[in-house]
Amino acid sequence: MTQSLTRLLDFDDQFRRDSQQPQAFLHRRDRRFAQQQQTQKRPLTVTAWLAELHALNDQRQRDGHDPRLRRWRQARWIFAALGAVLGAAFMAGLLVYDGSRQINVTLLLVLIALQLAFAVLTSLQAWLGWQPWSSLLGRTGEDGDPLQSLRPALSARIAHTGGLLFALSGLLTLLVMVLVQDLAFGWSTTLQASSHSYHQLVSLIALPWQALWPDAVPSAELVAASQYYRLGQGSATNPALLGTWWPFVLMAWLTYVLLPRVVLLLLAALQLRWQAAAALRRHPGYASLLFRFESPWVETRGEDEAPREPAPVQVSVAPLPASATLIHWAGAGHGSSALVSSLSRDGAPLQLRAGGNSSLEEDAAALRQAGERREPVILIARGWEPPTAELSDFVQDARVQWPAGTLLALVPLADEQGEALKDAGLLAQWQRFVERQNDSLLLLSAPQ
Amino acid sequence: MDSNGNSDRSTENIDDRQSDSTLPRFAVVGHPNKGKSSVVATLAQNDSIAIAMEPGTTRDSHRYPMKVDEVTLYELIDTPGFQRPRKVLAWLQGHSLSASDRAETVAAFVTQHRDDPRYHDECELLRPIVEGAGIIYVVDGSVPYNREHEAEMNILRWAGRPSLALINQIGSDDYSADWEAALGQYFQIVRRFDAVRAPFEKHLELLRSFGELAPNWREPLDAALEYLQAIRFGRDHQALEHIADALIEMLGHQETARLGEFEAAGPLQPRLRQRWQAWQREREQRLRHSVEDLYQYRRLQRQESDLLLPDDDDLFGERTRQLWGISKGQLAAAGFGAGAVGGVGLDAVTLGHSLGTGALIGGLLGAAGSYYYSDKLTKVKLGPLSGGFREAIYGPLKDPQFGYVVLGRALVHWYQISQRNHAGRDVLVVTDSDAHWLDALSRSDRNGLQKSLQALARRRFEPSKRQRLIEQLELAQQAFSQWQLSEFSSAR
Repeated sequence: MTQSLTRLLDFDDQFRRDSQQPQAFLHRRDRRFAQQQQTQKRPLTVTAWLAELHALNDQRQRDGHDPRLRRWRQARWIFAALGAVLGAAFMAGLLVYDGSRQINVTLLLVLIALQLAFAVLTSLQAWLGWQPWSSLLGRTGEDGDPLQSLRPALSARIAHTGGLLFALSGLLTLLVMVLVQDLAFGWSTTLQASSHSYHQLVSLIALPWQALWPDAVPSAELVAASQYYRLGQGSATNPALLGTWWPFVLMAWLTYVLLPRVVLLLLAALQLRWQAAAALRRHPGYASLLFRFESPWVETRGEDEAPREPAPVQVSVAPLPASATLIHWAGAGHGSSALVSSLSRDGAPLQLRAGGNSSLEEDAAALRQAGERREPVILIARGWEPPTAELSDFVQDARVQWPAGTLLALVPLADEQGEALKDAGLLAQWQRFVERQNDSLLLLSAPQ
Repeated sequence: MDSNGNSDRSTENIDDRQSDSTLPRFAVVGHPNKGKSSVVATLAQNDSIAIAMEPGTTRDSHRYPMKVDEVTLYELIDTPGFQRPRKVLAWLQGHSLSASDRAETVAAFVTQHRDDPRYHDECELLRPIVEGAGIIYVVDGSVPYNREHEAEMNILRWAGRPSLALINQIGSDDYSADWEAALGQYFQIVRRFDAVRAPFEKHLELLRSFGELAPNWREPLDAALEYLQAIRFGRDHQALEHIADALIEMLGHQETARLGEFEAAGPLQPRLRQRWQAWQREREQRLRHSVEDLYQYRRLQRQESDLLLPDDDDLFGERTRQLWGISKGQLAAAGFGAGAVGGVGLDAVTLGHSLGTGALIGGLLGAAGSYYYSDKLTKVKLGPLSGGFREAIYGPLKDPQFGYVVLGRALVHWYQISQRNHAGRDVLVVTDSDAHWLDALSRSDRNGLQKSLQALARRRFEPSKRQRLIEQLELAQQAFSQWQLSEFSSAR
């Protein structure tokens, strides 16, 4: 039963540790374990799962010594010791016989009934989860304490342990007293009870062991002979007969004090085990763990790319040089007469096309024509599309073919109508492109 | 030994080749900056791709396998864009004799230019295709079709692999119809797909069409779809579990401090209240992270009201309550419902002789209680004296609106995360809303939820009721989605 508690606490600890971990990691880890257990035909249990994790993390080699259980264990020892001492004292106190008066069996029976009632009440409290005395324990249950719901059952187990030790030491004391003292039992009550009805009562009480030990059932004669009155003489007709009550007292103690305690302690232990298992099943991490065991691990992310910081840009936008030679790269801005007039120094500039759907021969022809003009050239491109290596090749070819010192102004557009590129992110990629060309005669410009 | 070793190795190679040939692989190719990485980011559910990409800067191909328990069902390959397509096409045309040797010529190009830095991008792009990958050609449907990309499409046609064209919508203009007509001449299948905004069902639809490219690819793709769907449902449910646990902890949370025997509790109140609020915010952030982690968002930037406006618009601001939570009137109505349920029980006990009076009284009491408590903030309580000290306890907050504030915010965040695509690069703004989602929840479900939240705030919540709370939250989640859809359609 300590094992079930330890398992619950270990599970809770693991759950808290796992709450810091990414779900993906947990799913991979637990799914791998579930598959491993299936492959090796081993049971897939929380205990096995915890054992595997503990083995991997060099944790908890010994069972049952969780420090959170120490308080409960200490309480159990204290109750046991107290029960043993009180049981002996209680029985000795009852059986003190100074010869002046018989030991009243009625009182003994009442106290036995009281013990039985206490035992039953303790268990009832635990079963109903009722703890009227919980405030006495203080704020032991912190938020999320896994033992919180088990407190009634744990308390019942402690109380029954104390009760059992009480019953055992009481029983031993009774036997010792029977052995070392000449005990004379009798019965007495203020009520108008006849010996016949009293005999019926004790016979009823003795029913459980009637067949097992007939001598432990008081006979009608014994009952009649052992009635005494406080104001009476007190001396019995047959003193030896009065001692024969002890088997009845012994069996009553055994049956109604000791046996119920044993049974209820076992039940409390079972209840604790059952409740610990139930607490584990409804633990916030339990359903998730089962989900991770049962669901295949689906991975789509592949390799993670570390975000790259783009290089800082140095190139700034230069004024547009005066030119009447325009090259539309991939047809950029070709349809916008307003753009053409804003870029060109005269009304009818030379407009050439290159890149895009033009052939490489057409690119070469455009370069040749532009070079023959011996003036700065304006190269118009779509600013929202990244500059490709083809454009880089074109710029390098131009440098080879054109007269030295020819200015080339690269004008990326924001749209087909010829708006200047304002988006900083898009402009940066053009700035970086110009930088990469390492060409002092290559400018980055914008339409005026 | 050597011969055995060699034979084993050769068997392994055969197996590898067999598995290679049956494994569906898709190379996502195209012109730079047409959204290839966005498509891969969305389909691979990897937001780091989206964050990493600067337009046109992908230089190497990256593989994104879809694995189920380490078994790969398909693989997406993100590739760099074409840099010199016309030169490549010219090379191919110059080395080919007839149409039958085109695929081999493409392979020969890759072999020959493997170490040529000028064609690094083209080799990276074409290598997976030469090795058997299907082609997913991505274009931007928001710019007009022009013939400048025909060299790229011709190269891909030369490769002779199963091919699909994807019209991605980057801008607001729509030229998809023109693109569709043009792409149809080059590719087996043409599909439209908005990588940033397409709902999850569209992702599955697209993957299904990948499976149509080759007969032996259909089966693994169908299996993959089932797993993806299952994992999606699983995530939605797990998100609820996370929200339920956060609610349990947040609504029942207490802050404590030790107080001397003769020390007054009053001055302690602001400090405990501050600690309590800090704890609540931290716990809420943990919930946000866990839900984002569940949906595989690792690089998400989020902006929420309480992070920016700590005084008026934070979790405890009155305006936030009105926006996210439940109004006093609604709260009183919900309380009325919950109280009336108790009253009906009273009627049942008296065999209906009270003729509904029980329900009426119960309802009035519930409503009055809710209205009263809606303004009642928590005060410091003092524990018993022990060892010369007392324990000062702050919390839980008795205001029943608090639960709705936390839940409302959690549902808005969950909804945005579950509907978001991994290609999204914008900051996730958890927005306000002027209507209330609780209206979409039935009266009895609202009562059930109200009871659970009240039990949490009173710290009378049994662990055994967690499952019930999750079921109630599932209904709230459905109601919230329904409300969001109705808001969206009415906005349109």
